[in-house]
Amino acid sequence: MKLTRRDFAAGLAVGITAPYVIGSARAQGATIKIGMCVPVTGPAAEQGLWAQNGAKLALAAVNKAGGILGKQAELVIEDDQTTNPGIVLAFSKLAAQRDIVGFLGSIRSTQVHAMAPDVLKLGKPVMIGGTDPALTHMGNPWLFRFRPNDSYSGRVIADYGVNTLGKKKWAIVHSTDAFGTAGGKALASALEKLGTPAVLDQGYANQSQDFTPVVLAVKQSGADILGTYFTFENDLGIFARQLRQLGVNIPWVGSPSVVAVSSTKLAGPALYGTYGVADYAEDSSEASKAFGKAYRDAYKTAPDNQSAWPYDAVTVLAAAINKAGSTDPTKIREAILSLKKFPGAEGEYNFDQNGDGLHGYNVVRNEKGKIVYDKHIDFDN
Amino acid sequence: MDLALQLLFTGIGIGAVYALVALGFVLIFRATNVVNFAQGEFSMVAAFLMVVFAVDLQWPYWLSFLLALAGMALLGAIFNLGVYYPLRHRTFLPVIIATIGASILLANSVLAIYGPQPQVLEGWFETPGIQLGPVYLDSQYLLIIAVTMILVVFNYWFFEHTMLGKKLQATSQDKEMASLLGISVSTMIMITFMYSAVLGGLAGILVAPILFVSIQMGSTIALKAFAATIIGGFGDVAGAIIGGLALGIIETFGAAYISVPYKDGFAFLVLVLFLVFRPQGIFGERVAEKA
Repeated sequence: MKLTRRDFAAGLAVGITAPYVIGSARAQGATIKIGMCVPVTGPAAEQGLWAQNGAKLALAAVNKAGGILGKQAELVIEDDQTTNPGIVLAFSKLAAQRDIVGFLGSIRSTQVHAMAPDVLKLGKPVMIGGTDPALTHMGNPWLFRFRPNDSYSGRVIADYGVNTLGKKKWAIVHSTDAFGTAGGKALASALEKLGTPAVLDQGYANQSQDFTPVVLAVKQSGADILGTYFTFENDLGIFARQLRQLGVNIPWVGSPSVVAVSSTKLAGPALYGTYGVADYAEDSSEASKAFGKAYRDAYKTAPDNQSAWPYDAVTVLAAAINKAGSTDPTKIREAILSLKKFPGAEGEYNFDQNGDGLHGYNVVRNEKGKIVYDKHIDFDN
Repeated sequence: MDLALQLLFTGIGIGAVYALVALGFVLIFRATNVVNFAQGEFSMVAAFLMVVFAVDLQWPYWLSFLLALAGMALLGAIFNLGVYYPLRHRTFLPVIIATIGASILLANSVLAIYGPQPQVLEGWFETPGIQLGPVYLDSQYLLIIAVTMILVVFNYWFFEHTMLGKKLQATSQDKEMASLLGISVSTMIMITFMYSAVLGGLAGILVAPILFVSIQMGSTIALKAFAATIIGGFGDVAGAIIGGLALGIIETFGAAYISVPYKDGFAFLVLVLFLVFRPQGIFGERVAEKA
């Protein structure tokens, strides 16, 4: 067959325009797409699976209730490899799909920091679970947080210890990484505001094999209550055991790791009677209970915050798009910010202008190895 | 004073752990002239084997212990055949890189099989510890200190008073000469790797009830043990023990009296001082000559 000049020109035209035509057809496709960057591989692969479970559960509920703008919703998952370069790559792959209307980012603040510049460039809403307060305070209007940020955990720990337990002499023990330092500072400043400055503020390096010096410092400080920010559960387990062995039995209110399932398992009786803040507590509200039941029915295991926040993120995103009546990013943003008293598994969402949806924590306690809900403390400011 | 006594006990306890792992470093270094960077992973693998036997399969503790150590001897042999033996005629550098590669492989294999969650392994004794006046003595630390002391005596007897020990020493001092005397050098190196893996494993099993069983447990201990080896003198058994104990005590007291966050810093500060002013360590030969 002879290729004429006209055939060549026509072929070229089709070749150039085809991706646009196909892309545009996909954009007006039969489903509404939500992108999700999640660890499928890497150290947090297991937690990544729980996150996918939560998101899929919400998606099924949304679709059952009529979907988004009358169409069925679909989740497009990309592996973030539990690394910062991994999530940047995963997000750029998803961002290239122009028919994706909103995204789920990471529960790890460092990964959200890594992807944040690209989120700003793309200009579409991204739901996040990272709790570094700075994430929603750096002029990026497209990040929406579905867990209470760390400034609230410090305030809740202080409030509970001082006002509920009536303790005034605080020892703070925190890891010296970004999480522990920020948490320790938040707790110290909250205690100062309550007029009960800490008598000891003790940092430690992660993966310490021995906590004797820390425990002895707590003992010598004369503190009558302990507030902690531990990053790793095995550090927490070693500390808890040594604390009890060396005879320190003062009340203890800590960051979520104190009441994490693995800490409870590792430290055993050494953590009995301790209190911790938790963003997800099954008995804290009707919505939390409903999520817990649905999750258990679907996956035969109890959920935690790893699956609760993606569940809320998909639910809120779907509700916001339906409220906005459009997939225009600015309209979705306005709709999310206008949601008030929206019941979620993690708590009641009231988004502020920064994109923070939750403004308090649950306090739970370890009753002989069982984590039970105690009370919810919310702040207006 | 009470505080100092408590710190001294803990320092010796944690130092004994470093010493046990450091012993493994030293034995392999003496036999092969290379540093085995997978030594810490031997501890981790043994601890996970204990979890499999004693916790998952609920076998008796002593049987699990013996099986885990046997497993370590086997791992040492495989390690020798797979990592050291093919590279034995090369310079020390490819062998060291191969041991680093093997350590990554071991850590990730266990991660793939067992997942990232730390596991609990109970100690030998029912009682967690005893209160002796103002000092609390953790029973597991007491056991570790006792085992370390026994091993010092055993190693001395084994290397100085048994034929096998002397053959191992001869191999480590001069392989060609040992070979001319009819000693099977490759067998001796094989035995060294097996023994070192067992020692590393023993450290891992003993320390697991205190530090829990996690993927990272090996690398954190090994780094300190490596520092202890240099401080004590590379290639010297007594040096590894003294170096380990010294390191444990220094970092515990440094943390208590100067700064907790810089606890690891004290250990490595001592290491740097030794490298600058006494690179051969307390007892050892000059590192530069061996390397």
